[in-house]
Parts: sequence; structure tokens; C-alpha cells
Amino acid sequence: MVPLSAYVAVSAVLFVTGLIGVLIRRNFIIVLMAIEIMLNAANVNLVAFSHYLESMTGQIVALFVIAIAAGEAAVGLAIIIVVFRGKISTNVDEINLLKW
Amino acid sequence: MVPVFFSYFSLVSILAGVLTVALPNPVHCGLALLTLLLHVAGLFLLLNAEFLFVIQIIVYAGAIVVLYLFVLMLLNLKTDERVLHHRYAVILVAAAAICGGLLLMALRSPFQGAKGHAPVEAVLQDGGSYAIGITIFNEYLLQFEIVGVFLLGAIIGAIVLAKTPTAVDVEPE
Amino acid sequence: MANEAVPLNYIPILLFMAIVVAFAVISLLIGSIARPSHPYPAKLTPYESGSPLFSDARVPFPMRYYIIAMLFVIFDIEFVFLFPWAVGFKQLGLLGLLEMGLFIGILLVGYWYAWKKGALEWE
Repeated sequence: MVPLSAYVAVSAVLFVTGLIGVLIRRNFIIVLMAIEIMLNAANVNLVAFSHYLESMTGQIVALFVIAIAAGEAAVGLAIIIVVFRGKISTNVDEINLLKW
Repeated sequence: MVPVFFSYFSLVSILAGVLTVALPNPVHCGLALLTLLLHVAGLFLLLNAEFLFVIQIIVYAGAIVVLYLFVLMLLNLKTDERVLHHRYAVILVAAAAICGGLLLMALRSPFQGAKGHAPVEAVLQDGGSYAIGITIFNEYLLQFEIVGVFLLGAIIGAIVLAKTPTAVDVEPE
Repeated sequence: MANEAVPLNYIPILLFMAIVVAFAVISLLIGSIARPSHPYPAKLTPYESGSPLFSDARVPFPMRYYIIAMLFVIFDIEFVFLFPWAVGFKQLGLLGLLEMGLFIGILLVGYWYAWKKGALEWE
């Protein structure tokens, strides 16, 4: 019998891994992948609470999160393609034209 | 039995997450992300979320990761020379501290709360997807339609961004 | 508290996966033991129907593949919501039908837009 806090701990570690990825990687595509890791960590958390508190709400919100992840991937990758056309680079440090 | 599978799925998913963040070659990162998603699907199965298990494999592992790999192929990226920010050590220390705090809180809290009205036996009687369908279309109608509008925005935005007739659209020989 | 009925139903799938992995590993292992091994550079090049190699496998894809893949992902999400609706169709009744009609209508606007912009053309 696995306690709920074990799932919460896994989710926390995954979330922090994704956060580190967003902060330290320079490649735009890898940054988006790290965001997917964070969304998955949130999903694990939602489904675990849904199971242990015997409510369907967590699973439904996780379903919405998956839908939003798909939209985010579609638009984010399109942005990467547009930026790559202009600069031939996916390095997030070089995409700084709009920086104040 | 379940604790064994839980340890396997959680350890492999954390390992795959670390590899996704740490590997230099973007294609390898994509494959590590795929491993992570499949093992998170295993965690969903252990939590009796059959429908999400299937959706995670079909949509996440089957479609979204393929989209990522498509873009990697499209842009033909080679390994970056400098993959990390120069100040990454500071971030790592801060992140380790935050993670330690979160773990401390997670492992000490009993996480008790009010029970909902979907006990496992009742859900299993009609199947998980039935329970999800009934709940979405009775209680979460507005959110569901908002997701529809969001997806419409995603389609239009992605087409506006990606559909411009210019140079990179190389013809195959 | 935690009913473990669902994971137990998946034990046949686990066995199936174990057999698949074992089959692949064992057949490759037997092959590597049984076959003679005398590699030289010409033999190690990838086989491309007998003709000489002309490019790397990592060629850049044309843009329209991305647009098709993106549309596939979005309409895959539509399927995700259609499935639980179809399972509970009898109980949801007319209201559920109207709601799903509205949802599909919203996404059809996006489909129509993609069609009008020529995103589905292959030329």
C-alpha cells in the first residue's frame, strides 16, 4: 500500500527537474520539453489526489491539462520554427530583440 | 506487488526526467521524454486512472512527442556546443534546496481531506471513462467548451505562425 | 482504501510485454552468438538497396509535414473528449449531444480556417 505522500514526493521531484531544465538549458526545444515534464508532474499530483480522496475532479483536470499541453506544444513549436527561420538559432539567449 | 511497480515507475520516470534535462543531443532528450511519459502512464495505472493511462500513451507519447521529434528533424539541429547557462551551479543549489523543502513537507503531511463522491468500487462498476464522461458533461461543461475555444486558438495561431511561404521550406530533391 | 482491482487486470499485458522484450533480446543474442563476425568498413555501411549512400538520415523536413502533424495533435485532443462522451451517451442525452455539437462546431471553425489558408494542400 503506497501512501499518498510518496506520489506527492515523486511529483515534487519531477516538477523541480523540469524547472531546472527551463532555467539552465539554452536550447528552446529542450526548454519546451522541460515544461512538458512540469505538466506531467502536476498530472501525477492531480491523479494521486483524485484516487486517494475518491473524487473524479482530479482526473478531469488532468485531462484538461493534457489538452492544454497539446495546444502549447503546437504553438510553441510553431514559434520555434518562425524564430529559427529568422535567426538560424534556437538558443534562448540569442532571442533577445524584444528585451528592454 | 503495487509498491514494487510504484518504485520502478517513479525511479525510472525521475531518471528519465533528469536525462531529458541533462543530455546534450536534442534527439536523445526527446527519447528520454518519451520514456518519462510512458512511466508516468504506468503511475496513472497504479492509481486506477485507466482512461488517463490510455490517453497519456495515445496523445502524449503518440502525438506530442512525435511533434517534438518532427520539429527536431525539421530544423536539423546538431548538438549545441554550450548546452547550459553559465550560472547553472547557482540555480542547481537553489533548486536542490527548494526540492528538499518540498519533499520534507510532502513526507511529513498526512494529506487528509474531505472525501469526494466517487469511491473506487462505484467507479469500477461502470468503468472509469463512463465516470469521467458523466462528470465532465454534468459539472465541467463550461471548462470543456473553454478548452474547445483554446484549441481553436491553438490551430489558428500555429497556422498563422507556421504557414508563410518563405525560404526554409526546402523542396526535397 | 486503495482498491487495486485495475492494476491486477493489466497483468496479462505485463506478461505480454515481458515476452516481447524477452523474444527480441533472446533472438538478437542467439544471432550474435551463432553468426560469424568479420567486419570491414564497406560491410558496416548502411544498406540502401545496393546503391551508394547519398545523404545523412537527418535531412531537413519540408514545413508542411509540421502543419499536418500539428493538426493531427489538435484533432487527437478532440477524440480524447469524444470518447467519454460516447461511453456515457445514453445517460447524457440531448444536452450532451448539444454540448458536443458546440465543441465540434468550434473545432470545425479551426478546420475550415486551415482549409481556407491552404494548410491541407500538398501541391
